[in-house]
Amino acid sequence: MHKLILAAAAGIIGAVATAASAQTILVSMKGPGAGNPFWAAVERGATEKAAEMGVDVVVLSPPTESDVPAQIAQVEDQLAKGVDGIVIAPTDPNALAPVIDEAIADGVSVVFIDTKGANEGVTYIGTDNQMGASLAAKHICENVEEGADVAILQGIVTQSTGKARADGSHEGLSACGLNIVAEQTGEWDRAKGLAVMENIITGNPNLKGVFASNDNMGLGAIEALKNADMLDQVFLVGFDANPDAAESVLAGEMAATVAQNPYNMGAFGIESVLTLISGGSLDPVIDTGTVLVTMENAEDFN
Amino acid sequence: MNEPQMNTEAPLLAAKGICKFFGAVTALRDVDLELWPGEVLGVVGDNGAGKSTLMKVLSGLHPQSEGTLIFDGKPVSFASPREARDLGIEMVYQDLALAGNMNIAENIYLGREPTRKVLGGALTLFDHRTGIRMAKKHLENLRIHVKSVEQKVEELSGGQRQAVAIARSIAFDARLVIMDEPTAALAVKEVGKVLDLIVDLKKRGISVVIISHRMDDIFYVCDRVMALYHGSNFAEARLKDTSRGEVIGWIMGTKEKVESVAHDRVS
Amino acid sequence: MTASPENSGIESPESMQKLPLGVRLIPFFDRYGILIVIVAMGAVMWALQPDVFLSWRNITNIFKQTAANGMLSIGMFVVILTAGIDLSVGSVLALGMMTLAVSNAAGVPWPVALALSPMMGLAAGFVNGIGITKLRMPHPFIMTLGMLFMARGLANLISGGVPYSGLPDPIRFLGSARIYLGEFDGTRINLPVVFLFTILVYFLFWILLEHTVFGRRVYAIGGNPEAARVSGINVDRTLIIVYAICGFMAGIAGLIMAGRTNSGFPNAGTGMELEAIAAVIIGGASFFGGRGQVLGIFGGVLIMGLIKNGLNLNNVSTFWQQILIGAIIVLAVFIDVLRRDLGTRH
Repeated sequence: MHKLILAAAAGIIGAVATAASAQTILVSMKGPGAGNPFWAAVERGATEKAAEMGVDVVVLSPPTESDVPAQIAQVEDQLAKGVDGIVIAPTDPNALAPVIDEAIADGVSVVFIDTKGANEGVTYIGTDNQMGASLAAKHICENVEEGADVAILQGIVTQSTGKARADGSHEGLSACGLNIVAEQTGEWDRAKGLAVMENIITGNPNLKGVFASNDNMGLGAIEALKNADMLDQVFLVGFDANPDAAESVLAGEMAATVAQNPYNMGAFGIESVLTLISGGSLDPVIDTGTVLVTMENAEDFN
Repeated sequence: MNEPQMNTEAPLLAAKGICKFFGAVTALRDVDLELWPGEVLGVVGDNGAGKSTLMKVLSGLHPQSEGTLIFDGKPVSFASPREARDLGIEMVYQDLALAGNMNIAENIYLGREPTRKVLGGALTLFDHRTGIRMAKKHLENLRIHVKSVEQKVEELSGGQRQAVAIARSIAFDARLVIMDEPTAALAVKEVGKVLDLIVDLKKRGISVVIISHRMDDIFYVCDRVMALYHGSNFAEARLKDTSRGEVIGWIMGTKEKVESVAHDRVS
Repeated sequence: MTASPENSGIESPESMQKLPLGVRLIPFFDRYGILIVIVAMGAVMWALQPDVFLSWRNITNIFKQTAANGMLSIGMFVVILTAGIDLSVGSVLALGMMTLAVSNAAGVPWPVALALSPMMGLAAGFVNGIGITKLRMPHPFIMTLGMLFMARGLANLISGGVPYSGLPDPIRFLGSARIYLGEFDGTRINLPVVFLFTILVYFLFWILLEHTVFGRRVYAIGGNPEAARVSGINVDRTLIIVYAICGFMAGIAGLIMAGRTNSGFPNAGTGMELEAIAAVIIGGASFFGGRGQVLGIFGGVLIMGLIKNGLNLNNVSTFWQQILIGAIIVLAVFIDVLRRDLGTRH
């Protein structure tokens, strides 16, 4: 205790301004890069871009994606240390909002990556889910005869991601003249995706194409199609390019899936925050792009 | 310590027809016991004879299944040790029942802590100082010597602990103290001190019931000895009317003379 | 409070020389260990980050970051004093926090919403206490493990599993308000309210445990529950109050975390029961009950905070935080074991 009081006193008297040589950017990720290819790619994108631009980068993350207080503490501690910019994927947008406000009040530039934060006026750099869903729809259009019956497995459409993927796929599929016979939610869940697909094929035996708003539901739907011996006639595209889905693509079951581009999130994040630091301005949303994963490139995602 | 009121005309405690059943097991069957003011009664018996159970009935820890208790001329029944305690019946347990992590003073007043009011009576605090002062005086009064009453009990020797346990039992106007094997866990040199302490209680007019396996203890401190056998009264006598050999015989369930096994200790 | 073991060592050097050096140092570490550890950690961090570590901002950050764990730990300490354990505090924190956030969103007036978090905690703790004593669960582990799941489920149920954000300032006051003290050397000095609150809470717990009959009985129950029972102490009632206090403090932690994050999120507090147990053990309490001081627990909480802060400042992965905290727990308990060895030697 005494030591702390002394320390606090010393802090008051000798508060020292942090001397910065190169600029330092904090990249605060939701989860650790170790063991998670998504965050590993974000980290690689950020560190490679930082090296290229000649700035220092500190990459930190809480031990798990649910450890919100750990992420808040990391940001606070780095603010105390003095960083020039923050690139952050908030574990919980609302809970992180106060500390982001604190950073902005300190004059630190902030951008969100991967997950949009709750703070107004902060640029979000991430996947344009609507664009990604359009990409998937376009792929279905190219592989299914015109006018054929297709279905959409929606996520939870009250969430922004679910809505964007539902809208993008709907527009894309109807634009090329396909007949959308069903749009139902599987709530992102594999078992629910299976059940919903069973119901859809019962009423629509001529189904030719399916867009699943995430891979989990897509993999569930594939089980339903297999059980009904309809897998050969149905062209199914998922979203997320998780390893199970990539394996399914390689096995010739799922036709394709859509990959986000986490490397770009890291790289664009650094680039954008540096733009802000040097007085530039940014668009409110920056798309990091999406990639179609088919038999040719699925090995990279497995 | 107030001099307890004595009534030498009637027993301080009388137990009549006490039975205690644990499920299908009968631990005590029709046991009678009388204890006179200022008397030290030794209770002997083999393991499982029901001595400890009887003591737990008397101290309110296990209420009897059948039978009556009369204390100071009035029938009583105890739902908890606290109710027995309120009448002045105290028990010193074989495992001592002290909290080793707490100091001597706190152990003596455990459950009956001295308090003081602060903030105009809004808050009642534990009064450490009074507890320490009272404990010091109480131990001095009993000629029990410890380095400090603020010593933790776990730092004490077995004899010192037993002394603290006994001191605790008579800290508040006790009229009857029940002791379960008070010397069993002690080093030889400490036994004498504890026995002297018991004699001291008797001089203060406190009645004592003592369970012991040690004939030395019984014949040093007791006025009377009673034996239980298989949960029932077996025999009893004033100490001057019996012998070690006879008492050992009672423990083994025989009323014949057993001089051949007249050693001091059976267990 | 205690007699001085060092003095006896000085008086009889011969007897002490028979003991190995490590054992001879135990009484010293026993009393000053936590202070030594804190000062040593502080010195290392100061050497590594001379400009930052002792800055006012960093010091206040440490207190802001440890406040919620501080609340959980002091409640957990009272439970561990009785040789019990409460695994539910992290979930109960979330339950309190979500009750607060959801009721606020439903238009409940703020004084009521604010009180709901500690009250839910109190209720959960009371249920724990009833289960442990009246339902005669074989060990507090079972009842509080059950509560861990029930409280988390309830927190998810009332909130639909989604976060609620945007709380009024009065509710946020405890967790986020700062008192402006003035400007020193060009730096604005703010004192977090939660720092003062933590000091107050620990002071009150010191009074409770050291200077009230209830507190001494809690220690007695931890030392020897049988002795407490035969002394006429109502052990069950005391235990129910102990678990209710622990739940109440979890609810207070929920209130602090809600204020700090301006929201309620249903996975709040996940795993925090283990951090609280760690802080209590590092702070010198014993799993066997009856041992430990309030100030030691404060030290334990601070050590946990210092580790995290120091590693964050040095950009070290949180995996190292976990490894270090684990190692310190083992070390703290090992010291407790050595202390017991010493205790049996004399």
